[in-house]
Amino acid sequence: MNIPHKSVPIADLHREPLRHLLTALADDHLILGHRHSEWTGLGPILEEDIAFSSIAQDQMGHALGFYTLLHEHLGAPDPDIHAFTRQETEFSCCQLVEWPIGDYDFSLTRHLFFDLAAGLRMETLSLSSFKPLAQLATKIRGEVKYHMFHAKTMVNQLGNSNDETARARMQTAINRQFGLALGMFEPRLGEQILDDAQIAPIESKWRERWLEALNAVLDGSGLHIPDPDRIEPVYGGRNGYHTEYLQPLLNEMTEVFRLDPQAEW
Amino acid sequence: MSVEIQSLDPRINRLGLHTHEPGSPDTLPPHDHWGTYQVFHQKKRGDRHTAVGIVHAPGAELAMAYAKEQFGRRGETANLWVVDTRHVMALDYADQDMFATTPEKSYRDPGGYKVNDKIDAYREKMSHEHTP
Amino acid sequence: MYGGGYIPKEEARKAVVNDDPEMLAAFEERVARGEKVEPRDWMPTEYRRQLIRMIEQHAHSDIIGALPEGTWITRAPGFRRKLALMAKVQDEVGHAQLLYSAAETLGKSREAMINDLINGKSKYSNVFNYPAKTWADVAVIGFLIDAAAIVNQVANSKGSYGPYCRALERICYEESFHLKQGHSVFVYLATGTPLQRSMLQDALNRWWKPIMHFFGPSDEMSEHTLTLMKWKVKMATNDDMRQQFLSLYVPKIQELGLSLPDAELRKDPDSGKWLFGDPDWAEFFAVIRGNGPCNAERLAVRKAAEVNGAWVRKALQQADARYVTPLA
Repeated sequence: MNIPHKSVPIADLHREPLRHLLTALADDHLILGHRHSEWTGLGPILEEDIAFSSIAQDQMGHALGFYTLLHEHLGAPDPDIHAFTRQETEFSCCQLVEWPIGDYDFSLTRHLFFDLAAGLRMETLSLSSFKPLAQLATKIRGEVKYHMFHAKTMVNQLGNSNDETARARMQTAINRQFGLALGMFEPRLGEQILDDAQIAPIESKWRERWLEALNAVLDGSGLHIPDPDRIEPVYGGRNGYHTEYLQPLLNEMTEVFRLDPQAEW
Repeated sequence: MSVEIQSLDPRINRLGLHTHEPGSPDTLPPHDHWGTYQVFHQKKRGDRHTAVGIVHAPGAELAMAYAKEQFGRRGETANLWVVDTRHVMALDYADQDMFATTPEKSYRDPGGYKVNDKIDAYREKMSHEHTP
Repeated sequence: MYGGGYIPKEEARKAVVNDDPEMLAAFEERVARGEKVEPRDWMPTEYRRQLIRMIEQHAHSDIIGALPEGTWITRAPGFRRKLALMAKVQDEVGHAQLLYSAAETLGKSREAMINDLINGKSKYSNVFNYPAKTWADVAVIGFLIDAAAIVNQVANSKGSYGPYCRALERICYEESFHLKQGHSVFVYLATGTPLQRSMLQDALNRWWKPIMHFFGPSDEMSEHTLTLMKWKVKMATNDDMRQQFLSLYVPKIQELGLSLPDAELRKDPDSGKWLFGDPDWAEFFAVIRGNGPCNAERLAVRKAAEVNGAWVRKALQQADARYVTPLA
């Protein structure tokens, strides 16, 4: 992702809220890209393996884009140091992305939930008054369009399958992670300030659009979402509270890098 | 005897595999990997679509999703087509002799119409006739 | 990635020649003229059998080859290396897809090929039965094993079977990216901290033997081998390819001040040929028979991937589905 290396002036009032937003986006994409990459070479069929690996690489590329914005405009360390040296509590990813890959039904459903949200986020952020973010979001949008084509096709066809077990697996996967998915929209610190400045909307606006879009995607698939008002969103991730899965993931991800973080790898 | 596999790959360890998984099917049934679609790739607008290979897919939509990454993950792509292999009729190579004499049929080619010699001769002749 | 020149003796003995002599003569003339053979052409029985065996093994090598490097996917240090390794392993899966497709045009289904792989009936390159113990192994595999594979694949891409040549053309192009990224990791480690350098030297020491085995033992110049060379199925001898590899890459290892664990390795100034110590062919044969350090794991993992994905494939299957041999 090529981001013009030019820092633009940011009002003091916006700096912290913007840092929270970009770190959440960066960490979400990094951790999910990492999880998705666990399928590479082990997917259900060669063609799907290749497609899913591209999606994993895209997520990783998007993460790099967000870390680069943090580095260039908000004084964060360089992306490798930022991503590969922090502890669990310093991460602000949502808990949805931390969970192990499970079976393919779990990973596919998470891919649908996450990319549907990412698509909506990028659509709004491409109009952000913070121009570097608007540019990055515009670039990401096309890639997410493909992710959604893939996710929609797979989930719809599995939902409409003649195979009862497959339909049940998909419905279970949806039910199991729905609260986690709602956790993607945990309110961020200072989100109203960014909304007022037309940098980024508050999370509840995205949540509302996501629910609408999700119902539209699943329409005709035979699958349905639980009543969102009866499901407790799993919050905490944005404030550094994570599942038992994140720290082991980080230990693994940084195993080589930590041998010598100053070395060039 | 079945032993738990201790891999150097943490991803593999999470699968919890054994060397001889009891009861797991040893063979894929016929057609388990679906049918095939022929993929046609267009690099730039204005170019022709070119046959680049096949993907295995259960239907056209997934064939397209798979073709996009298997044949479009590098370089430029403007457009893709996918066609169910069952819908393509191909000539047999044994019938290549149907084309054997085609290159000889000069009356179909621009090169088969060379008249400059005639024009030159005519002009030569006319110039003599007008010389007093 | 592949090193498939080696044809076991028992395979060669299976060759039975009972093809129509006129058709055979026409076929051999076509190949001698440098024309390609296409899927639905008449071809000698043994030509088809050897090509299926070879392309299938090549495909298996790529799908199994995704595993040793895949070992480090979740641990690659830094974004650039992580993205590159993900893309590289993905390419290996992609190459398997292209190669299985080429083999399918000869009339063997992908399911049958994968069954033969997971049942141990069909082989793949021995080199992938060795473990990738540290991050430096990614450098050695990406640089040297891909380099060896390129030597082999460039030779094969000039063979006589159209679909295989077309697949190899694209594969060679992508392998050149692998070689570059492998060389980059290799050079960073070689010129890095003492720890990085010692990791690399250790990996090089461990991989050198399997690399020397990569092209297989010297070919027996039997009538069978000569026929396969005439048919442009086998394009170069194992020894020639090994010599070409050593000439190209030993200097690139030595220029970085790294050593190779073979005291006898040197270029003979008179013949221009590389001389080397006994590469331990007994071990090569033991690994082919299934007794390498990772044979059991590699097959179990491949089988698990197929078994775990079965429900997805079955659920997406259309009722009217019917298999036909792909065109090209």
